[in-house]
Amino acid sequence: MKKQESNSLMWVRLDNAAKIYPAARKKNWSNVYRQSVTLYEEVDCSILKSALDVVVKRFPSIASKLRKGLFWYYLQQVENAPDIKEEYSYPLAYMSNNEMRKCAFRVIVYRNRIAVEFFHSLTDGAGALIFLKNLLAEYLELKYGITIPFEHGIVDRKATPTFEELEDCFPKYAGKVLASRKDTNAWHMYGAPQKDGFLNLTCFQLSVKQILDLAHSHGVTLTVFMSAVMMLALFNLQKEKEPNVKNRKLIKLLIPINLRTLFNSNTLRNFSMYTIPEINPRLGDYTLSEICNVIKHKMGSEFTAKHMSTVIATNVNDEKNPLVRLIPLPIKNLVMKAIFNSVGEKKACLSLSNLGKITIPQIMESYVKRFDFILGVQATQPYNCGMVTYKDTIYLNFIRDIKDPELERHFYLVLQSLGVEVYVESNQNER
Amino acid sequence: MYCINCGVKLSDNETKCPLCNTVVPIINDKKDDEKKLYPSNKMPKKTYYSKVLSGGIIILFLIPLVTTFFSDFNDNGYLDWFGYVFGALLVVYVAFALPIWFRKPNPVIFVPCSFLAVILYVFYINLVLGGNWFFTFALPVLGGICIITCTMVTLFRYLKKGRLFIIGGCVVAIGLLILLMEYLMTITFALPFRGWSIYPLITLSLLGGLLLYLAINKPAREIIERKIFF
Repeated sequence: MKKQESNSLMWVRLDNAAKIYPAARKKNWSNVYRQSVTLYEEVDCSILKSALDVVVKRFPSIASKLRKGLFWYYLQQVENAPDIKEEYSYPLAYMSNNEMRKCAFRVIVYRNRIAVEFFHSLTDGAGALIFLKNLLAEYLELKYGITIPFEHGIVDRKATPTFEELEDCFPKYAGKVLASRKDTNAWHMYGAPQKDGFLNLTCFQLSVKQILDLAHSHGVTLTVFMSAVMMLALFNLQKEKEPNVKNRKLIKLLIPINLRTLFNSNTLRNFSMYTIPEINPRLGDYTLSEICNVIKHKMGSEFTAKHMSTVIATNVNDEKNPLVRLIPLPIKNLVMKAIFNSVGEKKACLSLSNLGKITIPQIMESYVKRFDFILGVQATQPYNCGMVTYKDTIYLNFIRDIKDPELERHFYLVLQSLGVEVYVESNQNER
Repeated sequence: MYCINCGVKLSDNETKCPLCNTVVPIINDKKDDEKKLYPSNKMPKKTYYSKVLSGGIIILFLIPLVTTFFSDFNDNGYLDWFGYVFGALLVVYVAFALPIWFRKPNPVIFVPCSFLAVILYVFYINLVLGGNWFFTFALPVLGGICIITCTMVTLFRYLKKGRLFIIGGCVVAIGLLILLMEYLMTITFALPFRGWSIYPLITLSLLGGLLLYLAINKPAREIIERKIFF
């Protein structure tokens, strides 16, 4: 981490996880995700711009632009807050290299909704949520003249950023033993591609109580339960598309894990890892309970500081190699892109990222209707899914770049068979 | 509003079911650390020192020494070129193997020692060949290189800051030394002064000047640093 002089802009090296994203970008794909908050009242853009001016100074590692060095990319704090942008008919529009050079995040307002779209090199979901909560708090204070206490992730926006917030924690928590990278490939979903880069968004709203009751009846957490539902939906979808059992491939689900709780860190940089539970459809049909157990034990064995430190060490070890460090950026990009294309996204059918239960100071609750978390589609897989819980509702956002909502339908059918009430909305409004 | 096909509850704004594509009938009206006696995890740093290694290196040096001694004596019946081999091996030993005998070899001592060995070796060659180039050419040039290197090593070891100043200054000094070298060559070997040393002098002065500029100008240094960090 680098350097902030009183009169100069801060710049930081990309953290370990962030290094792959700029290299992996494609012509029409950039690894961007969105977090949004919907208010009860319409958003005042001029006040939001004033709030953004304050917040970008407080979070210099997030309010950044992506720049190129001779050997590595780096993030440089933006001079001024970017303009508020208008919403398109679909979220997570392609973020071009030119746009990232100016500012690697966007703030988009649509009626009551404030959305922020982040390039993944800036931060992960947990870091982005802190940014969004503080932007919201600053906005509410400016608009309604209220005073919001510094709790639930709300910080003093006038204070200078702390060392812990700007720290790249991966090298700090890398263990001495390296983990193996051997892994099997997952089933590759396919479908008729959507024209013009349009991304279909389908938002499921579920009752927290209903899902928690079901999860507890299976003896698992909400994340594990929802992951199991997703894997069962994937299983059923493959079964429908591939009647021959011998041709069926592994169903694997990538579940991101926030390492901050595991290592007691407050960083606002990327600091997450993942686990990939899998089931083998060739072995026959699975029940929801069986899948719950598979995920529960996989997460139980891998979501430990010891295991994660070995995985971190494997990744950190690569970037410490003097030969890798001294290769000029363009060549490094080619190599990283080739590696990403050959192995990067073949290890899971899709990601199910659960941001968890969002809490905000009580005084803010009367202004906030809901939160959403939307992941961008993967480079080669057509789906991704983000999940967030606010008050008594789970907001689960599917995004896809293919026409037919096959996975969503199977996901719904699993929930329906469990007697769960589902409320659905989408961005496809043309008849 | 519910989908008439799959039965899912839909948002009022949907015109068709997002799950099964069934068209929806229009009804809507738009609607911490404890105090311990001793600190933990603070172990003395282990240094791996072996006299066996140093002894082995001496044997490695003795092998070519003995081989060339007998080879030279067999060929000529007396020692002819063996002195050059002995001198060269001695220089290499002083420069690279001698420091291994010490637990913490200080380069501020060993670098001048190595240069002294080189200068003595070159002086021996001058004596054997009957040349008159040592005091007017070799000694000033080697002495210059020795002074620049020793200054750099000493400053690097004892100063924690100002490395760009040190490197910049040394680069300019090397340029001046090359100019001195050409001048000494013209005096010693009676060659015409062609002025080729001006080119490296200009190049090194510019490079040294740039480093000194960067040493003074912090913003410029930061720009360069962020562009070339690896």
